[in-house]
Amino acid sequence: MISSLKRIIAIGRNTLTEAVRQRVLSVLLIFGLVMVACSVFFSKLLIDEQIKFVKDFGCGAIGLFGFAIALLSTAQLIPQELHNRTIYTILAKPVRRVEFLLGKFLGVVLLLSLSVMLMSIAFAGALYWQEWQGIDSTQIGYDQRTPHWQSSPDMVNMYQRDILEIENQVRDPQLIEAILLIFAKLVMTSGIALLISTFATSSIFTIVTTFMIYLIGHMETVARQVWLGRGAETTLYQSGFLGILSLLIPDMNSFTIVDEILAGNRVPWAHTFNLLGYAGVYLIVLLALSEISFRYREL
Amino acid sequence: MVALMKISVMDTSASPAFAVETIGLTKRYPLSWKRKIVLALDHLDLQIRPGEVFGLLGPNGSGKSTTLKLLLGLAIPSEGEARIFGLPPDSLEARARVGFLPENPYFYAFLTGDETLRFYGKLCGVTGAKLEKRIEELIDLVGLQNGRERPLRSYSKGMLQRIGLAQALIHDPDLLFLDEPTAGVDPLGSSQIRDLILRLKKMGKTVVFSSHLLEQVQEVADRVAIFSLGKKALEGSLEAMLVENQSTQINLPAELSAEQQERVRQLLVQAGVGAAEIRFTRPHLSLEQLYLRTIQKAPDANPPTHPRP
Ligand SMILES: Nc1ncnc2c1ncn2[C@@H]1O[C@H](COP(=O)(O)OP(=O)(O)O)[C@@H](O)[C@H]1O
Ligand SMILES: [Mg+2]
Repeated sequence: MISSLKRIIAIGRNTLTEAVRQRVLSVLLIFGLVMVACSVFFSKLLIDEQIKFVKDFGCGAIGLFGFAIALLSTAQLIPQELHNRTIYTILAKPVRRVEFLLGKFLGVVLLLSLSVMLMSIAFAGALYWQEWQGIDSTQIGYDQRTPHWQSSPDMVNMYQRDILEIENQVRDPQLIEAILLIFAKLVMTSGIALLISTFATSSIFTIVTTFMIYLIGHMETVARQVWLGRGAETTLYQSGFLGILSLLIPDMNSFTIVDEILAGNRVPWAHTFNLLGYAGVYLIVLLALSEISFRYREL
Repeated sequence: MVALMKISVMDTSASPAFAVETIGLTKRYPLSWKRKIVLALDHLDLQIRPGEVFGLLGPNGSGKSTTLKLLLGLAIPSEGEARIFGLPPDSLEARARVGFLPENPYFYAFLTGDETLRFYGKLCGVTGAKLEKRIEELIDLVGLQNGRERPLRSYSKGMLQRIGLAQALIHDPDLLFLDEPTAGVDPLGSSQIRDLILRLKKMGKTVVFSSHLLEQVQEVADRVAIFSLGKKALEGSLEAMLVENQSTQINLPAELSAEQQERVRQLLVQAGVGAAEIRFTRPHLSLEQLYLRTIQKAPDANPPTHPRP
C-alpha cells in the first residue's frame, strides 16, 4: 500500500516536472499581464466599481486559464505517453496500470494547484493595489473638500468608516471560497478529460468531448427548470432523460454560486463544503470508471 | 482444504526450470475500421533457461516486439500463455525481476540522466543511498558520465540506448528483455552493447534480445529463434546450427610461401584428402573489426567541457 502510494507520487511528481520544464506555466505570464492591465486601465471608475471589477475579472480569468490548462494538459497525458512509448518503460516496472493512471492525474492536479496558487497571488496583488489606490484617493478627496479635516472628530470617524468599507471589500474571506470552488471545478473538468482520454484515440476528441460535457453540465439544470417547471407536462421520457443525464454528466451549474460571492452575497461555508464534497464524490466515480476503461486498453 | 494448501505451497517453493516459457502464445490485433485482424504472433512455444542469452531474429513485422510485449504483460495474449520464472507476466512479482529496453527508446525529454535513473529507481522501490550508489555503478557500466547532468532532449541515439540499458538494470533484475538494442547505434556503440550483454551473462543474468542484424547476434547469443510472419520458423543453438560439418579450417599465425604450401598439400594428400579440395586463403578482417580497431583508440564522445564564449 505504502509502496503503491510512493510510485503514484513519483509518477505525479515526474508529470509535474515535465510540464513545468516544458514551460506550461508561462501562459500564466499572460494572466499576470491581464491582471495588471485591468487594474491600471480601468482606474477611472469609482473605487467600489473598480474593486468589483477586479474581483470579477480575476476570478473569471483564474477559471478560464485554469480551464485551458486542465483541459489541454489532461488531454495530452495518455496520448503523449503512448506516442513517445514512455508508458512501456513505466509499465515494464513493477507498477500497476491504475497506479500509472492515478500518478498521471496527480501530476495534473499538482499542476493545477500550482497554477491556481500563482494566479491567486497575482489576483491578491491586484486587489491590494486597488485598496492602496482607494485609500489614497479617499484621502485626497477629504483633503480637497475640507482643509484640516483631521481636527474634526466627526470627519475622522467618517474617513475611517470609508477606509474600513474599502478594506472589507478587498479583504473578503469569501474570495477563498470562490477560489476553492473554481479549483474544484477545474479538477472535475480534468477528471472528465482523463476518463475520455482512456478510450479516446486522439487528444482532439478528448478536448472536444470534454468541452461538450462541460457545456451540457451547465445547461442541465436550466433544462430541468424549463421542463420540470411546467409541472405535469413533463413526460416520462423527459424525466428519464434528465435522470440519466444527471448521472452521466456532472452538475457544473451549481458552481456558478461563485457569481453570488462576487456579487457580494453571503454564501455559507457549509454550502461550499457541500459542493466540494459533491466534486470529491464525482471525482472518485470518474477515476473508478477511468481505471476500468484503461485496464484492458491495448497499448 | 488442507490438501489444497499443500499444493499451493509446493507450487511456490519449486524453483521454475525456465526463465521464460510460452505455450501457444498468440496475439491478434484487430483493425477495427477494416473488420480484419493482424496475426502478430502465431502459437509460439518457447523455453529459455536461466543464464541463457537468447536472440529473437526476424525481419521487421515478424512479431519480435510483440513477443517481448507479451512477456512483459504490456499486451494481453489472445490465446495461450506466458510465464516469467513461473509467474504470470503482468504480476508485480514477475516485473520486479525483469528489465526492459524498448525499441527506439525515448524517455522523458526534460529530465537529466541522473533524474531519469532516479525516477525509474523509485518506481522499482529502490531509494536513498542505495539508489544513488546504483546510479553511480550504472553510469559507469554504460559509460554515460557526460550525460548525467544533461537533459535527455540533447542525447544522441546511442546515449538514449545507454540510458535505456541503465534504467532497465536499475533494480538489478535477473532477466533482461532488449528490443533491438543495437538498432541505429554506431558500430563502436553496438560492440559495447554486445560486450555488456556478455558481461551480464557472466553475472548470471538471462538476456533475451531481438535483432535483425545477424552478425551481432552471432557473437553473443547461445540460442536463437528465427521468426517469420509471426511464426517461429527455426530454433536452436548457434553452435549446432552454424558449424559446417564437411570442412576444417587451419589457422596459422604466419604467411606460407608457395614452397611451404606445396609441402603441406603433399602431406594432406598422403593423409587421404583429395588434392582438388584443398584451398589456401588468407583470412580477412571484417570491415567492422577494422573500424573498431581504428576507433577504439580515440576517446568516447567528447564531453561538454568547452566553456560558453
Ligand atoms: N498495436 C498494434 N496494432 C496493430 N497491429 C500491430 C500492433 N503492434 C504490432 N502490430 C502488427 O503486428 C505485426 C508484428 O509486429 P512487431 O511485433 O512489432 O514486429 P517486429 O518487432 O518483429 O518488427 C506487424 O504486422 C505489426 O504491424
Ligand atoms: Mg520490433
